[in-house]
Parts: sequence; structure tokens; C-alpha cells
Amino acid sequence: MRALERHRKLTAIWASETGFKGWFSTVNHNDLGRMFLFTAFFFFIIGGLLAMLIRVQLATPNSAFAGPEIYNQIFTMHGTVMMFLFAIPTFEGLAIYLLPKLLGTRDLAFPRLTAYGFWCYAFGGTMLIVAMLFGIAPDGGWFMYPPLSSAIHSPGINADFWLIGITFVEISAIAAAVEITVSVLKYRAPGMSLEKMPIFAWYALITALMILTGFPPLILGSVLLELERAFGLPFFQADLGGDSLLWQHLFWLFGHPEVYIIFLPAAGVISTVLPVMCRTTLLGYGWIVSAALALAFLSFGLWVHHMFTTGIPHLGLAFFSAASTLVAVPTGVQIFAWIGTMWKGRPELHLPMLHILGFFVTFVIGGLTGVMVAVVPFDWQAHDTAFITAHLHYVLFGGFVFPIFAGIYYWLPHFTGRQQFFRLGELAFALVFVGFHVTFLAMHWVGLLGQRRRISGYTPEDGWSVINLISSVGSFILAIGIAMILIDVLLHIFTARRSCRNPWNATTLEWAMITPAPAYTFASLPLISCRDPLGREPALATALARGEGYLGVPREGLRETLAVDSASGRPEMHVLYPANTRLPIVMSAVTGLFFLSLLLKFYWTVPLALVGVIILAWRWVWSLGLRDDPAMQPVGHDLTLPSAATAERAPGWWGSVFLLTANGTFFGALLFGFAFLWTVAPGWPPPVWFKPSVLEFALGVAGAVIAPLAMRRAIRKNRAGDTPFSNVLIALFGIAVLGITCAALMMRAPAPTSHAYGATLLVLGGYGLFHATVAALMSGFLATQMRLGFTSAKRRAAFPIVALWVKYASITGLIILSAAHLPGMLS
Amino acid sequence: MTELLRILLAPLVWLVSFSAIYGLHGLLCETAEGSFAEFPVQRFVLLAAFLLAIALQITILWVLYQPRFAAPAGLLRFVSRAGGWTGLVATVWTLFPIVALSTCT
Amino acid sequence: MLAGAAAIFGLVMILLVFSFRRNKNSGEEEGQIRVWIIGLGLAFPALVLGALLAYGLVVGERLLPRDGVNLVQVSAQARRWEWRFTYADAPALETTGVLHIPAGRPVDIAITTADVIHSFWVPRLAGKLDAIPGHTNTLRLEADAPGTYQGVSAEFSGAGYDAFAFQVVVHDESDWAAFLQGQPE
Repeated sequence: MRALERHRKLTAIWASETGFKGWFSTVNHNDLGRMFLFTAFFFFIIGGLLAMLIRVQLATPNSAFAGPEIYNQIFTMHGTVMMFLFAIPTFEGLAIYLLPKLLGTRDLAFPRLTAYGFWCYAFGGTMLIVAMLFGIAPDGGWFMYPPLSSAIHSPGINADFWLIGITFVEISAIAAAVEITVSVLKYRAPGMSLEKMPIFAWYALITALMILTGFPPLILGSVLLELERAFGLPFFQADLGGDSLLWQHLFWLFGHPEVYIIFLPAAGVISTVLPVMCRTTLLGYGWIVSAALALAFLSFGLWVHHMFTTGIPHLGLAFFSAASTLVAVPTGVQIFAWIGTMWKGRPELHLPMLHILGFFVTFVIGGLTGVMVAVVPFDWQAHDTAFITAHLHYVLFGGFVFPIFAGIYYWLPHFTGRQQFFRLGELAFALVFVGFHVTFLAMHWVGLLGQRRRISGYTPEDGWSVINLISSVGSFILAIGIAMILIDVLLHIFTARRSCRNPWNATTLEWAMITPAPAYTFASLPLISCRDPLGREPALATALARGEGYLGVPREGLRETLAVDSASGRPEMHVLYPANTRLPIVMSAVTGLFFLSLLLKFYWTVPLALVGVIILAWRWVWSLGLRDDPAMQPVGHDLTLPSAATAERAPGWWGSVFLLTANGTFFGALLFGFAFLWTVAPGWPPPVWFKPSVLEFALGVAGAVIAPLAMRRAIRKNRAGDTPFSNVLIALFGIAVLGITCAALMMRAPAPTSHAYGATLLVLGGYGLFHATVAALMSGFLATQMRLGFTSAKRRAAFPIVALWVKYASITGLIILSAAHLPGMLS
Repeated sequence: MTELLRILLAPLVWLVSFSAIYGLHGLLCETAEGSFAEFPVQRFVLLAAFLLAIALQITILWVLYQPRFAAPAGLLRFVSRAGGWTGLVATVWTLFPIVALSTCT
Repeated sequence: MLAGAAAIFGLVMILLVFSFRRNKNSGEEEGQIRVWIIGLGLAFPALVLGALLAYGLVVGERLLPRDGVNLVQVSAQARRWEWRFTYADAPALETTGVLHIPAGRPVDIAITTADVIHSFWVPRLAGKLDAIPGHTNTLRLEADAPGTYQGVSAEFSGAGYDAFAFQVVVHDESDWAAFLQGQPE
């Protein structure tokens, strides 16, 4: 078969539907990555316009441009849009587009999940923007501190838009994070061990794991605050046993890792682009991986440094002050490793390199001011002044926007297959650089003079007028620069001349293909033996196009790839992807209906939406079932692999593990909240305690013990060739009993609206009931599959997955019942 | 999975002990006012917890250097040991204020 | 702190500029790792940050409220958008928007809120401390000289946040006694 013929056949298999209809049904990472990036930059423009409005307001004293009501919406939305709708989705989009190409495979682990995540993001973001257009956008600051954001002080629907819209968007982030984690660990080219992975994949893996553990506390906080607002459960009301400090803890447990979730992918871009710009390899690969890991962990020990002024004892602050200084060490390792890389090679001043230099200047200043505010006494003065605003913009613009622009310019030829033609980019960079520093250096200064954050005006007597005017002028230069970059990119997309295949002479795999990337990504999969495959074998692209790698023979209508052993990169199984479908967009629309019903308080459509989600999820998984045992599949180079459907640990199992990691963090944060309220909140003990019941407790425990044991037995029997129908039914029964005891806990929770104790028990019971229901549905699904002959001793992949969820429901159920019943029984 | 755990273990233990000691400190200072017969209980408990956390980290680091448990040579071994050192240094660095500062003011 | 930060920034910039030189004697990768990563990346920040941290903790420790002699106790309660101050030495007295304290004596301010979170900040006298529902935070400060000091609330609190300010009037000994007697100057 000739290369062109192979190209045609593979394109027919992998392409999305033509025209705009294709957007709604595509599950291909090439499309979805671009859609993510495009949407993220759309929101970036909106966030930028809001920033301009802020600077207009502050340009002159006693500004009459916007009143505080409008101004509060503007700065709240600026922060929210930039953080949640621009920064995180840009990482997701870049990772979704690049990872399969860098890793030498054809798509991500769960293509339909990618699409679902995208649509959740698009719908959630649209909700927020629409709210803004109607003038009912959230106005309590992007941090939404209660009681300012609770029903008494923010009675409108504004805050609900934030809580529900952001939770919806975070579902998309969790989906993308599961996707990225499993893809990096399992979906790589044969031979690509963890050691040989491109550095960006390490960064993406670490960032995704951070999203899985960093976002759940905020999701929990949003759920609790929305429950308080909608149903009066007083989690954050001091007079009813709640505590507004709980929100601050949950918010910053998310909020600080978030900063590094934003920085690490950008660092991944630098680690990828910088060596190419310097015609060398990255200095200290192992050190950089270790530093990124250390950074990820340390960032979870910093959250209280946003709360230095809340009256925590000095020793408590000292822990976090120490951790905040320590986190600068792994950052330093990375910075100096990059400078060392520049010394090792011969840096060339291409456009991406300019932006990397912009990153160095800006980020180092941001890091240094960051170390300053890590010192507690200094922070007591600087906290909540414009100094902090300036600091965080140095960190985020320096540590994210500059590297992302570097990345955009670096990979633009890959997206479009064209090379730079107009020299607009250099001028644009100069404007952005100058504008940025004028704006925010001035802001440092005015902050030290005492200007607070988030004020909508000041008087001439304050003496800040000139500095603010300078800052505003700088911001307009910055805005012109960014507009020019966008124009430059558009000109590039539509007019520039064709580029050669690997314009930067890079050595990573994403350049071993025609550009723009074909729908199938690689015509055949390479065998990897080193970290820079294209450097060692410059003709790799042609060899792959000729089908000399694995899976070089297209099979009718089948989207095929390989999954590997996560450490060694040894090929492990043969994977078939689902094809184009509208299921993800429909599913996220129904999910959106659920959130929208909550938002608009149409409670009668909530159960409808829930049933809809269940039916769609059932269809989603059902379509993967096989009626017959799949044969061993030859994949080329004399290698034959089993199908993923016959694996003990199928992709779905891996996805479940990481989804449950996020879920477990959510549960852990909930338990933390319970303990926090119990010990720290004023207004305890509650007026009435929960009445423990030995019967309920014993029944629940019995159910939680029986169900996982029955599933374990089922796996064994199935492997031996039996059909363990009865075992799965026993598991279903056990989990149902557990669910009923959780429901009983919810019913009997003492006065949930009059004290946080009862409210927390209600939520704990709800959590248990929800997971018991999910596990029961999954057991029911498995039983149905068995009845209809979709499982066998070989087609066994579903069993361990269901067992995992049953086990999770049982363990969390046990903890919930213990937390509710045991204190009363023991005292 | 083992490879991942080996890398993540020490920093994870740091995170747990750091948060636990922070919580413990809050509890001790919230509930038990003052000291029993001039004996600073809170300080003693915190110091004990600090030493325990360090001991845990040293154990993990020791295990990571044992040929029986260590990762296969190369990058993974390097990164897992770097993780071990991160855990130890982070434990000492972030919790040493227990030794130096007054406990509950 | 600023000078140190400027020096570090200067160092990084010089290293960046010199990386563009053509003839650099770059040795073995091992040696480069030792210089760049272990030396400059690991040891250098660790030393600087260790020193800075120690300094910050010592200063913080010194700012802690010790048992003061001659301690004055006042309460500050915030609500949207005004501060109310009461005085332990004169229980009947309440002032709104203006806090009166004596010079040269340690003052403990018990900070509370009646509604949302606020923050008590008099830049020239002390750092910020938040007013959080259900909690009482105590700020220790001491003003050396009599005079009037500007204070603001430094936690976003909604529409009236801009103008949410107060004053601290520091009295000498005789004025303070007169104030407590209910005879403002």
C-alpha cells in the first residue's frame, strides 16, 4: 500500500463529519484540542476587555465610569474568566492537542470524554457570560467569601451563577485531567518508557494529578455554599454552627495549587521549546522532573498563606510561611536548569524565544515579590493591596501568558502547516512587554502607598492619581500588543506560505507528521528508543507515513491504537476507539439542564435531568460491549496483542482509579470540613445530637462488607468460566442495603436548617446514598450484560471496574455511618 | 502503579504529616489552655509529632536506598530518591518553627 | 529585602544576557548540572530563603502580644460600612468611625464583625487583622506619638467598600483621661 493510499483510508476512518456539523459529533483530539484553544482565547478576549474596563475606571480619581455595583461585577468576572475559563482550559486544549502527538499514539484514552469535557466547559462558560450580559454576573470577588456571598448579603441570583457555572466548568477540568493522566500512563508509542517520555508529558501528568486533587475542595465548597443559599443549610453561618473560615480553607486548598496548575504546563512549554531554540537538549531532565514533582506537592502546603490575616496563631502561620519560602527552591532549580540549557546551547532569537525571555524577566520579578509576601510581617501590610494584584499578575502573566504565547508561535506551523510571513509578532511582543511592565510596576508602587485591591475609586487627596494614570496607559499599550498578536495569528492562519515539515528542527515526535496534522495523527506508530526520536532518525516521518511502524495497515472503519505498560512502555493491549457521535454533546446538554434547573430553581426538572444522565451514561457504556470473544490482534513487526476488552486492568479501570482519586479528595475535604466545624466553629455543640441506631449501623456495615466480597467472588468465578450472576446480584443487594441506611441517616439528620451539624450529616448521608446508587446501577448494568451474553471468561474487563466502584461506595459508606452513629453510641 | 507510588510516597507522607501537625496545633491551642504544673504539654506533643514525622521520612528514604525496594536504575530511581529527599527536607524545613517559636500565641 | 531582590534579579538577567555569547566553554553535562542546578538552583535559593525565613519569623515573634504593663483594652466591631469602638476603661462610651487610644501604651483591640468579613488596618500603626463572624481576633499595637492616623477596612465587603475608612486618634496622657471622662477635646 502506498503512503497516499494509506493516508486516504486512514482519513476516511478518523475524519469528523464535514462542515460545522462535524463540530458537534467529533471525538477526535485534533478537533477538540483546537476547539478548546479557540474557545479559551475567546474567553481571554472577554477577560481582557474586562481588564480594560477596570483600568478605565481607575485611570482617574473619583471616576464616574461605573458605579460599585457594576464595577464589582467587572472585577469579579475578570478574575473568574481568566482563571477558570482561560488559563485551565488553555492547558487542557494544548495538552489534548499535543499529547497524542508527543507520545506517538493516535488519540487520547477516552475520546468521547474529551468531547463531553469540552461541551461542559463551553456551556458552563456561556452561562457565566450570558449572566454578565444581563447585568446579573457574580459580584462578590472571584474568591466568593461568605457571608458576603451568602443569601443574606447577596440575595440575587448573581452568586448562584458563579457557584453553578464554575462547578459545571470544573467537571470539564476533572474529565480532562482523568483523560490526560490515563493517556500519559497508558497511551504511548511502543518502547516509550517513562524515562523516554518528552518532558511536556511529565508536566502534563503532574498537572493533571494536581487538578484531580486540587479541584475537589472547591467543588465541595461550591456545593455546600449553593446548598446554603438554596436550602438554608448553614455551613458558613457562624450563629448556626457554621464558619465562614471553612470556605476560606476549602477555597485556598484549591486556590494555591491552582497557581501551580497554571504555571506547570507553561513550564512544560518552556522545557520543550527552549532547548529547540538553543539547538541543544534540556539540561538535567531528571532534575526538572523531580523539581516539578516537588513543586506540585509543596503547593498543597501553602494554602493558609492566603489567610495570614485571619487571626491564626503565629506558629500556625510560621508553618505556611516556611512552606511558602521552600516552594521557591524547586522553582529555582527549574529556572537555573533553563538558563544552564541556554549556556549549553546557542540561543537564537526567534519569536518564541522572545516570549521566553519575556517570561524570565517577568516571572523572576513575580517570584521575588512572592517571596517577600511569604514573610508574615510584610504580608500583614501588603495583604489586599494593589501590591498583591501586581504580584499575582507578574506570576500569572509571566508564568503563563508569555510561555503560552511562546508555545502558540512555536506550534503555529503545526496547527496550520504554514510559516511566519509578516513580521508583526516582534512588534507585538515589544508592545506587550513594555505595556505589561508599565502597568504592573506602577501597581506595585501604588500598592505600597496603600491603595487597596478592589476599590472602584479614590480621591485626588490620596495622591495615587498619576501612578494610576501611568498604569492605565500601560494597560492600553498591553492591550494593543495582544490585539496585534491575535491579528498576527489570524493572518498566519489565512495567508502565510506553506511551511516545511519540521520548521524548527525539533526532535520530538509531534513534528514527525504532515502539517496541519492529519485526523489519524500517525499513519503507523513508531518504536521509541530514545528521548529525541526525530533527532536520531530525521526521516522518521516518511517511514511512519509508509506504514513501517506498528498498526500500519488500516482496517475497515476501525480506529485502532496500542496501549502500553505504564513504566516500561512495552505494548500491552490493542485498543479500538469509538467513532464520531453526538452522545457527548447531548449528555453535557442534559448535565447543563440539571445545573440550569438548580440555578433557576425549577426543581421539577432536576430529577428529569438526572434520569436523562443515567440513561445516556448507560448507552455510553453499553455501546462498548462485545458479543463475541475478540481474537488476538496482529499489530505489525510480528507482534500480536490481546484486546483491551480482555484485560484485567482495562483503560476504563485506569480511568475509574483516577476519577475515584478526585472523588476521594472530595470526600476527604468533606470529612475535613466536618471535623473543622466540630472543633473550630463557634456555636457548637449543636442543640440536638443525632440519635444513633444500632440496627441501622449494623445493617449498613453488613451491606458494606458483603458487597465487595461478593464482587471479588464474582471476578474469580468469571475467570474460572462460570457466569457469576448470583454473586453480582448479592453485591447489588448489599450495596442497596448500604444505600438505604444512608438514606435513613439523611431522613433522621437533626434539624439540618438550624445547625451545621445536622446539615453536614445530611450531606454525608447524601454522598453515601449517591455512591451506593452509582455502584448499584453499575452492578445492575453488569448483571444485564451477563444475561445478554456480553461477558465471558475472556471479556472480563467490566468486572474489576464495577468491583472498584462497589469497594469505593462501601468504604466511604462505612466511614459515613461511623462518623454519624459511633460518637453517639460511644458517649 | 508501583513506580508512581514509589515516587509519590515521601512527599505524600510530608503532606499528611504537615497538615496533621497543623491541625493538631490548632486543636491543642483551641482546647487546652495553658500548661499542667508548669509543664508545656502542647509544646511537648508537637515536638514528639515533629520527631515522629522526621523518623518516618528517614525510614522512607532508607527504604528507597535499599536494593530490594529501590526502583530499577535510571531516571525512576533518581526521581524516587529525589522525592524521598524532598519529603525529608520539606518536613524539617516547614515544621522546624515548632522548635523555635512560642506555641500558642 | 528590596535590595536583595534587585541583586538576585540582576544576577539572573546577567546570566541570561551572557548565555547569548558565542564562545562559552561549556564542559561536561555533569559539571553543568553541578554548577547550574545544584549550585545556583538548589543551594543558592535554599540559603537565601532560609535566612529570610528566619528573619521573618524572628520579627513576627517580636510583634506578638506579650503580657503588657499598662495594657489598654478596646473593642472594634465592623458592620457594613462603619466601625464602632468601645472601651474597657469606660464601658458607657461608644465611638463610631473614630478610635481613641493613648500614646505610649500597648493597646489590645478585640476585632469582631456584625455581618460579613472585614479587615482592620491602620498602615502606620500595625498590619491587618480580619474581623470574622463568630470569632474575636486581637490586635496588639502601640502608638508612639499623639496624632491622627488613617485606617481602612481592607477586605472587600460589597458596594460601600471604597469609602469604608476610619480614624485613629492618639492622645497624650491628659487628653486620654479627659476622653475617658467623656470630655472630647
